[in-house]
Amino acid sequence: MKAGWTISAVLHGVVLGATLIVFAIKPLSAPPLEFISTDIISDADFSQITNGIKTAPKAETPKPLVEKIAETKPVEEHKAKVVDKKPEIVATSDKVEPPKPEPEQKKPEPKPPTPAAKSEPKQAFAKEPEQKIDPIAEALKKDAKKPDPKTQQKAETPMPQKKPEPVKPQPKFDASRIAALLDKRDPQRHSATGATLSQTPSLGTATGRSASLTQSEIDALRARIQQCWNPPAGLADARDLIVVVRIRFNTDGSLSADPTLSNSGSHPTFQVAAESALRAVRRCAPYSFMPITKYDVWKDVEVTFDPRDMFRG
Amino acid sequence: MTKSPPPFGFTRRRVLALGAATSATALLATRASAQLRLDVTQGNVQPIPIAVPDFVGGTPNDAESARGITQVITNNLRRSGLFNPIDPAAYIEKIASFDMLPRFPDWRAINAQGLITGRVTRQGDGRLKVEFRLWDVTSGQQLTGQQYFTSPDNWRRISHIVSDQVYERLTGEKGYFDTRIVFIDETGGKERRVKRLSIMDQDGASVRYLTRGEDLVLTPRFSPSTQEITYMSYGQGDPRVFLLNIETGQREIVGNFPGMTFSPRFSPTGQQVIMSLQQGANSNLFVMDLQSKRTTRLTDTSAIDTAPCFAPDGGRICFESDRGGRPQIYVMGASGGAAQRVSFGEGSYSTPVWSPRGDFIAFTKQGGGQFSIGIMKPDGSGERLLTSGYHNEGPTFAPNGRVVMFFRDQAGGPSLYTIDVTGRNEQRVPTPAFASDPAWSPLLS
Repeated sequence: MKAGWTISAVLHGVVLGATLIVFAIKPLSAPPLEFISTDIISDADFSQITNGIKTAPKAETPKPLVEKIAETKPVEEHKAKVVDKKPEIVATSDKVEPPKPEPEQKKPEPKPPTPAAKSEPKQAFAKEPEQKIDPIAEALKKDAKKPDPKTQQKAETPMPQKKPEPVKPQPKFDASRIAALLDKRDPQRHSATGATLSQTPSLGTATGRSASLTQSEIDALRARIQQCWNPPAGLADARDLIVVVRIRFNTDGSLSADPTLSNSGSHPTFQVAAESALRAVRRCAPYSFMPITKYDVWKDVEVTFDPRDMFRG
Repeated sequence: MTKSPPPFGFTRRRVLALGAATSATALLATRASAQLRLDVTQGNVQPIPIAVPDFVGGTPNDAESARGITQVITNNLRRSGLFNPIDPAAYIEKIASFDMLPRFPDWRAINAQGLITGRVTRQGDGRLKVEFRLWDVTSGQQLTGQQYFTSPDNWRRISHIVSDQVYERLTGEKGYFDTRIVFIDETGGKERRVKRLSIMDQDGASVRYLTRGEDLVLTPRFSPSTQEITYMSYGQGDPRVFLLNIETGQREIVGNFPGMTFSPRFSPTGQQVIMSLQQGANSNLFVMDLQSKRTTRLTDTSAIDTAPCFAPDGGRICFESDRGGRPQIYVMGASGGAAQRVSFGEGSYSTPVWSPRGDFIAFTKQGGGQFSIGIMKPDGSGERLLTSGYHNEGPTFAPNGRVVMFFRDQAGGPSLYTIDVTGRNEQRVPTPAFASDPAWSPLLS
């Protein structure tokens, strides 16, 4: 047994010692890291930032990218107008249908999200040309069938009258057309939603959704109002007494008008409850902590004062 | 006569047009609605900050009574626990005239939400004219305003009435300041305690003694008219239930029973008195009509049924009974019948009293070496103890059902306390000596 113990001990010692030496020879080296500055934003913020905000200050670099979006969308609007006009003219016939395929063509355009790699080179080359390409592309496809549509897209208004006549053949070719359009419109998309755009909100894309308040910003507003609200003791008796108050703000968070009641009640203590709610809103002003960049969202707020939870149990 | 279509007939076209118009307005309405909606479900339960600057004296001689009125109002509001009168030292504006609009920014600056201004003027005929206005400081609007004429020695009651107006306007509940308390004043040593039936304002002022203290008096109760008190007293012979007219001092025994009667209470109409009658080792409940003197037996048990109390609608009564072994609270119809036990907690329950609002029954609970004042719903659910200690007993509700008064034995003798039904805001009621067995009157006005 002793021999076994010693052999085991010696061998263990040798192995451990060897590993110390062997591994010590090559110290592990890590390449120096490059730091990348990052901002943490929510998904909602990210998607909305790309859309642009009306009130945002003009940013120099991202402008061109945004302009593309703005231009592509007007094209859609023109088409929409065309659609409106068609029915007027066609009136008696069933030719109203053809306009539908066109909007379909437009919808596919926004859908395809695409690799960012393509977007960068194309941005540099031509921002305006791209849009022109689209109508041409459409025109090319339609060429075989209709000469008219080309003119419509170039000259917005006058042409629609001629459209209805050639429309009938269109539905048959829908599938192939859509495929062709999708292919050619992809590049526009890339430039519009490229990740680079998200760096700063920019001015004025017509269809951009305005940013919404984050949950913490909404909570801040709610907490402030709650702090100023002394619910009248009489509300304990009238638990269903809900008061809705409409508030309109200035950009600095002050009240642009006296808060107004949006509902009414017949309960004798409704007046007392309503006054307490109005008092709370007035007392808390100004709400200077609200983010001015999202003023569009909170310039007009409807607050529901609901005391039911407070007096439960 | 030619028939013409009725101007507002329901032709199909009109109906269609009407429908279109409604949907159009509905559409507009939704378009006009706010972008952001917010639910506020919690509030700040802190007392409402309110400023009560001294009322303006119409003449220099009125300044003193004006200050007195202001102080009573301030004290009332503070004791309610729902208001926080701001220290006058913080006031920026000095109200010099009752007729001028206060400078609201000055009052907003000290964070006041309400502001009470007033004027006291002695009239040519010797009467006192008291005017007041309650302002919403945040909006600068007058919420309420009144004027009263009264004899000068009635200024305290006017102060209470003004307090009630302010209380009701800001909380949405009836006030309880213009009320009185009847209680047992106790003086002398423990061995020779003198007990006198006494009455005072709810804030402890204007104490009057109604009996001289020769007889032992217990459990006084107000009639709904506030003009009469029923109580139990015994000097010579058996304890009896008495009826006392506060104004005239007239006293009479209620009913002619062959045993001792005790724990009386008025019905909500004031036409009847309900009480216990001892029969041997038992006691049962009887109700007596004060007009016809007719008595009706309500219970017939071999147990001790006592401390009866009417529900505010007069349809039911609650009482204490040991028919189940220990004293517990039971509820039954006002004309008798089967009683339903509502208290099921540990310990024993006694002295039930129904809230004037009907939502709670307050009681004394004994158990675990402690006496507690608690409330429960009339069906026995939602039991909540408001205060516990060495000895607490005899709850009575304020007329708005928000506050409970009781007496607590400590430091050699009992004294009166109030506590909100929420269990907060416990306050001692100032009395000239030891005091027990309080009963709260209904509103005097």
